Amino acid sequence: MGWYLAQQLINAFSYGSILGLLAVGYTMIYGILGLINFAHGEIFMIGAFVCFFLVTLYHVPWVVGALGAVAGSTVAGLLLERLVYRPCVKRKAPVLTVFIASFGASLLLRFLFMMFFTDRRRAFPIPELFEKMYFLGGVAIGLRDIIIFVTTIVIMSLVACFIKYTKLGTAMRGVSYDAKTAQLMGINSTRIIVAAFAVGSALAGISAIEYGLSFGILNPAMGFMPGLEGFIAAVVGGIGNVPGAMIGGFLIGVGEILFVALLPPALSPLRPLFVWALLFVILFLKPTGIFRPNVKFEGLWGE
Amino acid sequence: MLLSMKDVTTGYAKAQVLKDISLDVNTREIVALVGANGAGKTTTLQCIAGVIKPWIGSIHLEGRDLALFEPYQIVAMGISYCPEGRDVFANLSVYENLRIGGYLIRDPKQFKLHLDRVYSLFPRLCERRQQLSGSLSGGEQQMLAIARALMTNPNLLLLDEPSLGLAPILVEGIYNRIQEINASGTAILLVEQNVGLALDVSSRGYVVEKGEIRLSGTSAELRDSDYVKASYLGIA
Repeated sequence: MGWYLAQQLINAFSYGSILGLLAVGYTMIYGILGLINFAHGEIFMIGAFVCFFLVTLYHVPWVVGALGAVAGSTVAGLLLERLVYRPCVKRKAPVLTVFIASFGASLLLRFLFMMFFTDRRRAFPIPELFEKMYFLGGVAIGLRDIIIFVTTIVIMSLVACFIKYTKLGTAMRGVSYDAKTAQLMGINSTRIIVAAFAVGSALAGISAIEYGLSFGILNPAMGFMPGLEGFIAAVVGGIGNVPGAMIGGFLIGVGEILFVALLPPALSPLRPLFVWALLFVILFLKPTGIFRPNVKFEGLWGE
Repeated sequence: MLLSMKDVTTGYAKAQVLKDISLDVNTREIVALVGANGAGKTTTLQCIAGVIKPWIGSIHLEGRDLALFEPYQIVAMGISYCPEGRDVFANLSVYENLRIGGYLIRDPKQFKLHLDRVYSLFPRLCERRQQLSGSLSGGEQQMLAIARALMTNPNLLLLDEPSLGLAPILVEGIYNRIQEINASGTAILLVEQNVGLALDVSSRGYVVEKGEIRLSGTSAELRDSDYVKASYLGIA
């Protein structure tokens, strides 16, 4: 049982990494723009496709393909901001309009990809080198798991330092908390929004590579469930709170895998139920998430 | 003349608040804008800061038309607005609040210079620089809000109700600092409900009632006018 649990924890950590990286994107964009970027899962999916095309079709070295995925997701995120969100913000569109625009962008991207590439699953390119396995007692650790682990820790530390110590990171937290007052400090909120989309989308690209390495597949609908769960992770971690989103992602990812691993196999189709039940319980006990949200609630939600 | 507001009519959405407001602020001057709650004092400041735009009339800063600029650009032109009710970034430390206040400063040396200046003006903030600003007392938050607005070294500081909700002893401290800030060269447009206090520190003043300028003149003249005495100072 001990070895089994350890093995499952290793698997769980990879999924937690994927969700944590996605959750950071949601939380940054929500904090700064005040809206859920429903197309974040599609930004993630686009990253995986860019890597697939570069490596499988054009035979570029894998590392270049991976960097291409991050660049592809970032460009997609920036285009989304420029073409969908900025026109709404400029016209001071009501929240509901932006909500629908966001949802529309998500569906549009997903179905465009289905139209051009069909919805069949393709094999994500994984370098042979990464297939190496290490055995520790009764546990098999793949080099892939180690790569995912190290990448996530490094990237998350970098993001945490960026948010905590740089001027831009501090300004992002300020805008997230109170955009109206931040503009009185000379902060151009458009620039901060662009920065949030750039960082959030780049992280989605990294998450997509980890997903590909972990599950070995990609298809146009791949962003839907991780996207939804990443969003829940952001809410659980206290919306707008970047370290909270990372921890929220691990909680849900690890919890979900362990739920499947430890309960009888007959219950494993109920896996999504776990995520929603966890969200329900946490929000029932602590409506603002586990950690302090970094947004100033007003109106009905005022403290 | 530093700032000149001419016949400004404006408001929020379709609700008109100000009517034909004209006022001037000269360099290095403290000008008081006094009146009752709801008279339109904060709206006037928000209009100067660019948060709302004039419907009719104009606002010029050293000859440049402020209606053409966004609030974040107006800060770069040398006007800082310290909002009513402080509005500190409660989730951020004192130092981080000041860092955002100095967002426009590119040169780290320049930033350090301004930081040291506001710390020497408000030593209490220096002691608490690592503390979350939401955990500060009301007086300390007011100090922080003023310090944050000073980080860009503005030519004109718009101060909205700095005495609001503070004990008299703290108000005195804040007002001493306001006079020091002015002595170092910053012009101040001071909004206050506490009319006597505002007229004591200012050189000129405007009395606003129901969105219009009711009376204006030097602070001494206003203090001595029967109207101000009867309506605002409680002296029959």
